[in-house]
Amino acid sequence: MNNPIQPPQWATRLLRWFCASHLVNDLEGDLLELFAQRVLTYGPREARRRYVRDVLSLIRPFAMKEKPEKYPKPAFIQPAMIRNYFKIAFRNLAKHKLFSFINVLGLSAGMTACFLIALYVHFELTYDAFNQKADRIYRVAADVKTSSETLHYAISPWAMALNMQKEFPQVDAFVRVQKDETLFRKGDLKFNEENTVLADSTLFKVFDLKLLKGDPKTALVAPLSLVLTETAARKYFGDSNPMGQALLFGDDSEPALITGIMQDPPLNSQIKGDIFVSMSTYTAHQDKNIEREWGSFGAIAFVLLKPGTDPAAMARKFPAFVQNHAGKMMAEQQMQIGLNLEPVRDIYLHSTRVVEESGSVDNVYIFSVVALFIMVCACINFVNLTTARSVERAREVGVRKAIGAAKAALARQFIAESVLMCMVAFMLSVAISAALLPLFNELAGKQISKGIIYEMQFVGIEFAAAWLIGLIAGIYPALVLSSFEPVKVLKGRFTTSIKGVMLRKGLVTVQFAISILMIIATIVVYTQLDFMRNHDLGFSKDQTLVVRAGAGRGRDAFEASIQDFAGVKSAAASSAVPGGWNPQAYSKVENSSGEMQAGNLDVYRIDYDFIRQYGLKVVAGRAFSKEFGTDSTHSLMINEAAAKVLGYVSPQDAIGKKFSQWDRQGTIIGVVKDFHFKSLQENIKPLTFRVIDFWNGNLLSVKVDGGKVKQTLSSIENQWKTMHPDRPFSYYFLDEFYDRQYRADERFEVLFLNFAALAIFISCLGLLGLASYSTVQRTKEIGVRKVMGASAASIVGLLSKDFLQLVGLAFVIAAPLAWFVMDRWLQGFAYKTDIRLWIFIAAALLSALVALATISFQSIRAALMNPVKSLRSE
Amino acid sequence: MKGTYLGEFEEVVLLAVAILAGDAYGASITNEIEQQMGRSVNLGAVHAALHRLEEKGLLSSRLGGATAERGGRSKRFFTVTMTGTKALDNIRDIRNRMWGAIPKPA
Repeated sequence: MNNPIQPPQWATRLLRWFCASHLVNDLEGDLLELFAQRVLTYGPREARRRYVRDVLSLIRPFAMKEKPEKYPKPAFIQPAMIRNYFKIAFRNLAKHKLFSFINVLGLSAGMTACFLIALYVHFELTYDAFNQKADRIYRVAADVKTSSETLHYAISPWAMALNMQKEFPQVDAFVRVQKDETLFRKGDLKFNEENTVLADSTLFKVFDLKLLKGDPKTALVAPLSLVLTETAARKYFGDSNPMGQALLFGDDSEPALITGIMQDPPLNSQIKGDIFVSMSTYTAHQDKNIEREWGSFGAIAFVLLKPGTDPAAMARKFPAFVQNHAGKMMAEQQMQIGLNLEPVRDIYLHSTRVVEESGSVDNVYIFSVVALFIMVCACINFVNLTTARSVERAREVGVRKAIGAAKAALARQFIAESVLMCMVAFMLSVAISAALLPLFNELAGKQISKGIIYEMQFVGIEFAAAWLIGLIAGIYPALVLSSFEPVKVLKGRFTTSIKGVMLRKGLVTVQFAISILMIIATIVVYTQLDFMRNHDLGFSKDQTLVVRAGAGRGRDAFEASIQDFAGVKSAAASSAVPGGWNPQAYSKVENSSGEMQAGNLDVYRIDYDFIRQYGLKVVAGRAFSKEFGTDSTHSLMINEAAAKVLGYVSPQDAIGKKFSQWDRQGTIIGVVKDFHFKSLQENIKPLTFRVIDFWNGNLLSVKVDGGKVKQTLSSIENQWKTMHPDRPFSYYFLDEFYDRQYRADERFEVLFLNFAALAIFISCLGLLGLASYSTVQRTKEIGVRKVMGASAASIVGLLSKDFLQLVGLAFVIAAPLAWFVMDRWLQGFAYKTDIRLWIFIAAALLSALVALATISFQSIRAALMNPVKSLRSE
Repeated sequence: MKGTYLGEFEEVVLLAVAILAGDAYGASITNEIEQQMGRSVNLGAVHAALHRLEEKGLLSSRLGGATAERGGRSKRFFTVTMTGTKALDNIRDIRNRMWGAIPKPA
């Protein structure tokens, strides 16, 4: 064997690997013998070559086949044993009903939360993703810089899109969309369609909206062409074919032809609407000069770039392009327009420009992390609870092992049991998810999902995940259980290790920290909302009905006709009401240093009754009055914030100063005390009031008597029907309308409340697992203590103390974190409540109470147990 | 017992075992065949044939006789059984008969 020339080792290893054990010895011997001979006769090279060839030639069935065992093994899977496993599993579930229920419920709560969050995250991340050309679609948005500020618009100048297509060869197509509430009539049917969208004929080229009937190329070309969604078509025409029929469009009731029916756009699309009207209706029919206007902003413009275009290079040419067209206008109006390209898929989640709908990428991240956390916690708790109960199964394991069960078979049994639990949890979770989906949609404020049957791929993923969780979660308890030594467990002595207790304690602490964080966050959100609801807004919003009365002489006539109704206290017409949208006007006002200061100011057009009806305080000068004929053309009122911006120390100083705004010049006649015409999230901005013209401003605020709202409302409605039989009566209550601004925050509140509850529930499960585990371990200690005369109360205290310490530690971690996070959240509000100490105390007490209740589940039982039982076995 | 039909290579291997008479194992059989036939054979082919012949009951085997040359690994010695001897005789008879049946050239 000292021969230095050796055969290739890999070939030998290969042989040992594939060759049956009873053959390998003499085959290797033959190979070595031949090799030694051949080294002498042919030389080492050839000998090695032949060696390898021989090894390879031995890869044959006979060499691989193991010799049959003398004593046959039992089959890997035996139906009788499988049946027995299932029987035992179900008996165990049934024997500890409450415990199993809590365990399964915890897991399915985690799964459900994850499932719903996954739906939400997927929905948000795939916004606009249905467009196959999405990577080439960009929104062209304008930044407008004036001397005082920069405004970031989502819209762009009307003249931009056409010129851009003419001058930039990279542009394949553009489409402008503008949402506009429009009145539609067909016979007796009349609707104010809130989701009417003006769109260019290229809509179907840029976006993948599917036209079911009609030609996508021509459907929206001619003025007064309509494309209805299926839903809208059904609403007006039922089952009959709407193609080629007409609807009466707008306040002038022009007949508009239906040229197409489209599939309802996906819910996660920016382009959304019920009725699409050709853009040419506006640009070529209603306002023929609009497309030459660079100073007039409106419509969101999207461009489809040709494949391979570099958007950054294109954007670099924008300043010259704008300067070329609008340079003169910008110089005159002292403003600067900048254009930006935003990829369509980034708009919804990332853009900060104000549009009707926008998502928050932070929320997506937060929710994903929350989902992951919940799932991990739920799984670990599941493992903990299962392992904690393993002691009760110790005897079973002992008996099984004594009878001859192999360790692997036992491990398989316990893993299968855990998978079984997971499957039960999965089914429960699917049922809960299905039931919660409508609620969840409501909570999210949008239709994330139409129902569980539309989410089968998610259910499939959940199913696979449940299997995986069952397998992974089952491994640890299975290994612990299957490695019990039969002699010891049957004698009644367990040696459960202290290992992993620190980990469990740490985990429970983290869970409780998160729960406390959630509790504090919920309380803070609630107090802030409460603060906002009860904050003095500076105007009266109660018992005020706002009727969409339309512009024109008809509005004034209607206003006059209802003034005398019983229950109507007063009525006032305006173009805007607090909490709603109002336009901004380019204005020049004389400031404290005598210059004409230019800027975009918010405008309310109001009639003579508005100031009084809304309870606005005039702090200097006077309100508009019919007695002054010049008020309707040469007067302006401002709020205190505006006076401050202009540099006046006292509101009185602003009176009589010059202004020019929207074709009116004159003097400031009054200053109004600041009131919150926008939500409390914003500071009060400078605001101007001017007297309304009969042709604009379509809102009529009616103050009604609190006692007879219903009768008054119906008599107003009747009056409307007699005066305007062709138009629907539409109205809202001002207080509800105003509070609508807080809907997002209210959602936030409900969401937090739910997650806080879930977090508490899951962390309680963790605590329960830990408590039951350590109580079982201390059974004997408790027995001895009782024998020595300890009272039940002192034992409960002893057992609870450790866990309350954990909760205390969790509070120490969570409180500063919560303060930090919620302080940042409150920064988003201009008017905010303080984070008070009582919030922290309440959170601490609440979590301690919940923890105590959870532990008592175990500790009281342990304390009341007869010590004879626990001590007898030794 | 499988069919007693013998393939050509099986026959050669069986003959080699008979020739080596008591000292027949994988390596020696391979060497014997290489010498007798003047061509190289694979150990795998030899062992496969040995395995089949043993299954057919023409050979029997026992373990023994480790040498240093083999790295101390035992040999599997093969001996021809009675059935094997009969099979060889049978084949030779058939061959002889057939040789005898060839007409002599004039």
